[in-house]
Amino acid sequence: MKTRRDFLKQLGLASAALPFISNLSAFATPSAVSSRKQRLVVMFSPNGTVPWDFWPDEEGSDFELKRILQPMAEFKDRTLIMKGVCDKLKGDGDRHMRGMGCMLTGIELFPGNIQGGSDTPAGWASGISIDQEVKNFLQANDNTRTRFGSLEFGVMVPDRADTWTRMSYTGANKPVAPIDNPYQMFKKLYGQMKDRQHLTSVLDDVHEDLQRLSKVIGGEDRRLLEEHADFVRAMERQLQAGDASELNHVVPEMTAGVQEENDNIPQITKMQMDLLVNSFVNDFARSATFQITNSVGQPKMNWLGIDESHHTLSHEPDSNKEAHEKLTQINTWYCEQLAYLTKRLAETPEPGGDGSLLDNTVILWSNELGQGNNHTLNDIPFVMVGNGLDFEMGRSLKFPNVPHNRMLLSLAHGFGHHLETFGKPELCTDGPLDLG
Amino acid sequence: MSSSANLTILLLSIFTISFSSVVANDEGLQRGARIFADQCAGCHGKNGGGTADNYSARLFGDKPTIDLAEVIAATMPEDEAELCTGDDAVAVAEWMQSAFYSPEAQARINPPQTKLSRLTVAQYRNCVADLVESFTRSTQPDDRKGLNARYYKSRRFSEKDKVIERLDASIDFNFGEATPDAEKIPKAEEFSIRWEGSVVVDETGWYDFILKTENGARLFVNDPQTALIDAWVKSGYDTEYRGALFLLAGRIYPLRLEWFTFKEKTSSVGLWWKRPHGTDQPIPARHLSPQRSTQILVVETPFPPDDRSDGYVRGTSVSKEWDEATTFAAIETIDRLWPMLKRIVPVGKSEERDEKLRQFCTKVANRAFRRPISEHEINVYVDSQFDSAATAEDAVRRSMLAVLKSPRFLYREIGGQHDQFTRAERLSFALWNSPPDGDLLKAAEKGKLDSGKRLREQAERLVNSYRGRIQLHRFLRVWLNLERLEDIGKDKQAYPDFTPQFAADLRASLELLLDESASSNDGGFQTLLTSDDTWLNNRLASFYSIDQQQEDTLFHKVKFEPELRAGIVSHPYLLSGLAYQNTSSPIHRGVFLSRGILGRALKPPADSVAPLSPDLTPDLTTRERVSQQTSPTMCAGCHKMINSLGFALEEFDAVGRHRKTEKDRPIDAAGYYRLTTGEIAEFNGANELADFLLQSRETHRSFARQLFHHMVQQPILAYGPQSIDELAQFFADHQLSMKSLMVEIACRAAEHEQP
Repeated sequence: MKTRRDFLKQLGLASAALPFISNLSAFATPSAVSSRKQRLVVMFSPNGTVPWDFWPDEEGSDFELKRILQPMAEFKDRTLIMKGVCDKLKGDGDRHMRGMGCMLTGIELFPGNIQGGSDTPAGWASGISIDQEVKNFLQANDNTRTRFGSLEFGVMVPDRADTWTRMSYTGANKPVAPIDNPYQMFKKLYGQMKDRQHLTSVLDDVHEDLQRLSKVIGGEDRRLLEEHADFVRAMERQLQAGDASELNHVVPEMTAGVQEENDNIPQITKMQMDLLVNSFVNDFARSATFQITNSVGQPKMNWLGIDESHHTLSHEPDSNKEAHEKLTQINTWYCEQLAYLTKRLAETPEPGGDGSLLDNTVILWSNELGQGNNHTLNDIPFVMVGNGLDFEMGRSLKFPNVPHNRMLLSLAHGFGHHLETFGKPELCTDGPLDLG
Repeated sequence: MSSSANLTILLLSIFTISFSSVVANDEGLQRGARIFADQCAGCHGKNGGGTADNYSARLFGDKPTIDLAEVIAATMPEDEAELCTGDDAVAVAEWMQSAFYSPEAQARINPPQTKLSRLTVAQYRNCVADLVESFTRSTQPDDRKGLNARYYKSRRFSEKDKVIERLDASIDFNFGEATPDAEKIPKAEEFSIRWEGSVVVDETGWYDFILKTENGARLFVNDPQTALIDAWVKSGYDTEYRGALFLLAGRIYPLRLEWFTFKEKTSSVGLWWKRPHGTDQPIPARHLSPQRSTQILVVETPFPPDDRSDGYVRGTSVSKEWDEATTFAAIETIDRLWPMLKRIVPVGKSEERDEKLRQFCTKVANRAFRRPISEHEINVYVDSQFDSAATAEDAVRRSMLAVLKSPRFLYREIGGQHDQFTRAERLSFALWNSPPDGDLLKAAEKGKLDSGKRLREQAERLVNSYRGRIQLHRFLRVWLNLERLEDIGKDKQAYPDFTPQFAADLRASLELLLDESASSNDGGFQTLLTSDDTWLNNRLASFYSIDQQQEDTLFHKVKFEPELRAGIVSHPYLLSGLAYQNTSSPIHRGVFLSRGILGRALKPPADSVAPLSPDLTPDLTTRERVSQQTSPTMCAGCHKMINSLGFALEEFDAVGRHRKTEKDRPIDAAGYYRLTTGEIAEFNGANELADFLLQSRETHRSFARQLFHHMVQQPILAYGPQSIDELAQFFADHQLSMKSLMVEIACRAAEHEQP
């Protein structure tokens, strides 16, 4: 549910007055006590997977990656594949809607007026999502608080707010709109810095003009202008001081003029991932979502030579081998994006700490369905990457049909946030999954 | 006022007093000067400037000579009051008046001057809005009311499903299990409606828009792309959604409401709002228009309030907070303009686009500075930004930032020129509180503002527009000091029906009277002071025991006790606001009449005194209690005037209801006022009081002076020592036409040359 106020917030306007100048230091320097910076990223791709090309046959640390997961070969020992984790939420809404809305919230949708392809109409999820829960937990503590707390990235998310296009919730009925325009995200992250640079460059002109005008104006009136000129000078000095403390900020270079259209999905994905990695380097946030299209998403992967839309293809029966070959290629492409993000995090040293960003980050790759043609909510293709939560990685796990609430709980516990339940309490008996 | 015959009741008489004469002559003045030097200057200083040891406050004010003489005779010199009485006291008073006491003498000693001023906050917001509007389209509201409605028999707004097209006055529908039209929309399970038009705003401030529906809907206000309220997804049990917007008065904003119901048992939709000083209510039809309008850029950045220490808003001081606010506001402006830029400067070939952006920035500077810009300014504000920035986009941002931070934008008349652009700017700020529009700038450019006649034609065009009317309406709120009356609450036990909604309705009733007066061509001032009609809806009517019930919930003009009431002085909103929770307050009402309407200078009480509680004096009427408490000499100097004005409204209780008795005794509503000329006017009750006020030269003077300050934001006496009298005379000579007075003020200000 994106409203005008959210829009202004995303532009950085609603809070424009706050950290712009008066709060420069808080804005510029990462939190003082440098305990370990644990981070969470949830990457989403839609419409289920192709099970036989996804799940490893083996269980344990000795396993072979199937086709779809092949791009992760380089990081196999930092990958955790979790079969048997199921979205067990019932109630209103079709399975795409519940798959999306309950994926990170673990709780039912409200009754509502959004009608899917089957079942009853529904509204928004009735609780907070795990990325926002983790954010709130980290923001509550001075040592882990960051400028934004969380960032919600998107890639080609349709410009409509409904149960299929939102996965992150700050609370019941409070979906968060992802930002799918890289320039808008850039503006949110670095806009103030650019504005300050512009301001620094024009204040001198303003000051000179004030002095010029002071000369043609007499007496008391001149005093008013002189007073004004002093304020301008003071702001210039403040800005210069601020710039000095900001030198360590990495402002990414952006390719100009990339339009939001289907064929630019690869480029936009890369731009957004670069911004995500940069925002971690600058410690702007420690929780992030990365939503590629939406539930029932329809990208046409022309760049793979596939002309059909993803969701349409995903309805084809298992017997349609040609369609499933394409679906495997599509899912492999998503995995390549996961691999790119992983690689960037692995290559980037942890600022002010040891190791790489990946050592302190966990990525959850997630989907709203297990498989597209039968719309199952069982065996959701959940994969975790990275060592941020000290899980024992490099394994293929097979759980006995457990509710995914328990996996969400494990994430919270990994951050030291020892919740008893998350989402629907009845689905949390037996506590967090043991991920080692 | 029931008839003009009431005027004959008005008694103007000179009281017999113990002084032989109050007419000054030279001999008398010299004697007064001598006595002052002997007996007064020791404490009050040579020219009433005060002395550090004894009485440090400067002596000045607007009491009539006779009042001054009375005070001197009764109290001065301190502890030896018998030394200076009778003719001596009169002589001293006369000399004081002419030497330093009166406003005229003060103006002679300390000649007021116009000062360099920056834009006030309201002007700043108008300047930004107009600057952007100059690149899009500006719309003035016409007389049509309500919104265009299109009804569809499906949840999609597709042309083939459209079954009804009509005008809906306001939107507050409860369809229940049915549909708006059983024939055209047979299925209650699924239908939709789209309302389009504009919202008309007559007061600047925060507006809460409220969407009430058990179904799905989206509301767009002043932004066709991004919804203010997006409740398209019905989810759970919420049926009320709110979104706030800051809007500027005198403009109309695009509004669109899209609503649908699908598989829901019942359906309903209401478009409500909470306007400044209001409570939640359906947006009245008079604030809705089927007209199309264009998005307006309203800066929301908070600014520190403007200086009002001289009794009117003016821009003669700057502060760090203000300077910072101008920075944030500039950035906000650029950010919000950005998405519109593509429409203003369409994307074309890159070299062409750069050139077009440069031209755009030059226009921005031109319009922001409200006059043609010099080569030098183009170089500083446009070219050098384009030459130094990395990209054209960066250059546009820098150029706009420089322009919006420039003193040439932020200050008025900073270049010191007095040409036709200065005239255009003065005219427009005076009549619209906004920068000159395209017409006015063109007239200045072509040299068409040189003659008084042409200037006046432009002034008349401005004053007769919607924004001219808003400027007057806004002044009337200031004149009545309405901001002091917010949050009127009454004793819940005594007046259980005096709820916040009721108070908001009363306010709305007064606003309608102000709007009616401001819209009227010339009878407006008379309407304000003496109208027989009161705007009432059913809630108000039943509270004041008026039988006439209307079929709808709207406001209608009603003859409400016309023999007892007249215009604003007896309007129940003011009467209730100028009263305590349980009792009337002749002092509040008297201060309002003397300071606000008659324009008398009142100093704060020497000691702050808690009002005597009615419970401690159960036998006294309000009139008796107030008279008793303010009888000490220290109080009486001002309270004689205050009380005797306020008493004339004693027929109205704490909630503005009429009463014949208080504590089983008949109400005494006799009042009087001693004019600054020394004569006494007597009146009994609201009608006679209103007639007196309407005719009084002091009312006219005060109105003209306050209106001038509101419009020009410079001290009126800087425009000549006779300015107030001349404008008061002009007002009286022109049938008390407020619009004519505004035109006169604007033209005088525009033509004024600083000596």
